[in-house]
Amino acid sequence: MSGWRGTLLLLLSCAVLCSCARTAAPPAAAGSAAPPAVAYEAHVAAGGIAPAGGVLNNPHAGDAAVAKAGEELFHAMNCDGCHNLGAGGWVGPNLGDGRWRYGGADAEVFSSIYYGRPKGMPAFGGVLGAAGVWTLVTYLRSLPVPSNVPTESWEQP
Amino acid sequence: MVRSPVILLLLSCAAASLPASAEDGQWTMPAKDYAATRYSGLAQINAQNARSLHPLWTFSTGVLAGHEGQPLVVGETMYVVTPWPNVLYAFDLRKEGHPLRWKYRPDVSANALGVACCDAVNRGAFYADGRIVYNLLDGHTVAVDARSGRELWKTAIADLGNGETVTMAPLVVGDRVIVGASGGEFGIYGWLKALDLKTGNIAWTAHNLGPDRDMLASAGTFRPLYDGGVDVGAKSWAGDSWKTGGAPVWGWISYDPELDLIYYGTGNAAPYDAEVRVGDNKWSASVLARRPATGELVWAYQFTPHDNWDYDATGAMVLVDLTIAGKPVKALVHFDKNGFAYTLDRATGKVLVAAQFAPVNWAKSVDLATGRPVIDPARQTGVSKGKVMGVCPSLEGGVSPTSPPAYSPRTHLFYTSTNNLCMDYGAMHAAHLRATPYVGVDWAYHAGPGGHLGAFIAWDATTGTKAWENKESYPSWSGALVTAGDVAFYGTLDGWFKAVDARSGAVLSKFKVGSGVVGNPIAYRGPDGKEYVAIYAGIGGDWSLIAGDTRSDDPTDVREPADFMKDIARHTSQGGIVWIFGL
Repeated sequence: MSGWRGTLLLLLSCAVLCSCARTAAPPAAAGSAAPPAVAYEAHVAAGGIAPAGGVLNNPHAGDAAVAKAGEELFHAMNCDGCHNLGAGGWVGPNLGDGRWRYGGADAEVFSSIYYGRPKGMPAFGGVLGAAGVWTLVTYLRSLPVPSNVPTESWEQP
Repeated sequence: MVRSPVILLLLSCAAASLPASAEDGQWTMPAKDYAATRYSGLAQINAQNARSLHPLWTFSTGVLAGHEGQPLVVGETMYVVTPWPNVLYAFDLRKEGHPLRWKYRPDVSANALGVACCDAVNRGAFYADGRIVYNLLDGHTVAVDARSGRELWKTAIADLGNGETVTMAPLVVGDRVIVGASGGEFGIYGWLKALDLKTGNIAWTAHNLGPDRDMLASAGTFRPLYDGGVDVGAKSWAGDSWKTGGAPVWGWISYDPELDLIYYGTGNAAPYDAEVRVGDNKWSASVLARRPATGELVWAYQFTPHDNWDYDATGAMVLVDLTIAGKPVKALVHFDKNGFAYTLDRATGKVLVAAQFAPVNWAKSVDLATGRPVIDPARQTGVSKGKVMGVCPSLEGGVSPTSPPAYSPRTHLFYTSTNNLCMDYGAMHAAHLRATPYVGVDWAYHAGPGGHLGAFIAWDATTGTKAWENKESYPSWSGALVTAGDVAFYGTLDGWFKAVDARSGAVLSKFKVGSGVVGNPIAYRGPDGKEYVAIYAGIGGDWSLIAGDTRSDDPTDVREPADFMKDIARHTSQGGIVWIFGL
């Protein structure tokens, strides 16, 4: 069991060193740069006015090396136990189909992992910290989205 | 732990007043009777007239997860428990259209959906003493007044935060409600508990592994026939790996009033990489016999020592009296995920017959002298072995424990669904992180010999031989029912409900029930005196995961078909429906 822990700690310390991500999440005040303490789930704003909230930027967006580290972390943290190896879906949804229950922007995926979600997605922010969560976000956002998702046909073309 | 003689006395009285063997036309417990035979003495529907069976009534449960388990019929009411959110419906069978008398909607945590390994299933309720007793996915047992639907008590039995959920159907013996938890994929410390039927208070807790003290095993009374020793439930695990060793209880419990023993199987050892838990890993993948009053362990037998293929032994333990080699035997018959069907002496746990009922290659046979399987070393798995190819059966099992068998005292045959699946199994490191999966495996399935994926078979447990077999295109995941009309019933994963001749297997009637069947048929006598058969449709369990394209419920979750079964979604999608058939 010690093998993965060593790897994980290494990954985490690396991620912490190169990250400028926020770890705290105080309640949002209007105009504040901080994110809301509890991430909202709706993505349609009543009256066309979005609630105030901080902007979270992925410090590793598009970084292939971090994405690779995130793939290992995805297994080490048992994400694959619910979302399957390769994130194709098991008890938890497919994370590689380009469709997102709670939003697919980096900040939204961050919130899902950091705070958890109501149908059993655990909050990993405590064990991973913001740096680890960004590493996972970077991996998930690197997955190639298949082009023909909506149609499954059994007829000969 | 309670060892009160008063309770023993109460229990013996209860045993004396058990329902007589005469058919009363009801279905009051999950497997019809304590012996778990799923045999109905009704005979109006028989091999001659079953061709005219047709649907008479349906009801959508409004729930999409896998509809395992079975309805109950008590008097003139049918009770149905749904998968999460575990709604309990009570239908009035006296009235046209069977309107609801009431429904009970417990407050069940949605967080359970992420802790249940393999879909949000429920395997049914138990009726006892005016109460409907069943389990909620989020780790509670409830008792509901059968007449009014009023909640009588609700007891927290399991801890979601520790990876425990509850999917099994309870068994009630006297004033004891026996329950267990799922979580073999979360590294739980598996247990069985007894609650008081009147109050819901926990009377005893017995672990399925660990030191004797935790297992309620004492030197004087625990007499395993083959493998014993002080604290064997802990010493047969490397280091303290037993503490996260799994051995959950998610299947069925049976009871012999004469011997006063309950029988149940334990699930897989955790994690799937067996190299971190060197040893036999007792008593995972085993059958345990306990006293219902005190929980005291009397004997245990391990079907799969050092499980390294996810071969849970949580399938039904069917208690029947057989004649083997001219001698009468009080037998326990069990179809295991590991592909062997076992006939044991249920007083001692001695193995009398062990024969393959599905393709098996992890072991060549079972040595009747030692009770141990004769292992093929080439099929042993573990991280150091990489991906081990072509292991049979797959980790879905020769049969799923979800799909209980039936036994007819008229044909002397058992009836069961089977899977014809083998697998490639690559164990991986897994970290134990509370409330997250503790699994670690990369697997792939393929069809076993013949290319079909499942079957429904008739089995002679005295000789360990197949009487007949109906091959099915898909893995067969429904339970079985057999009746005194010599008709056997089962459903298929692509959504056919079938009535077959119990003596030949010939299909007498079939009907497409709207979704794949993973539930168990029952037979009952309606208030009009006629015989009816009821079944759930509603594909799920592992199949809404493995064949994720059978789901249509979430627009943000689109999945690939299963590579070994690319077209199942052409024939079925999710949807829970209760069906009643009659002549």
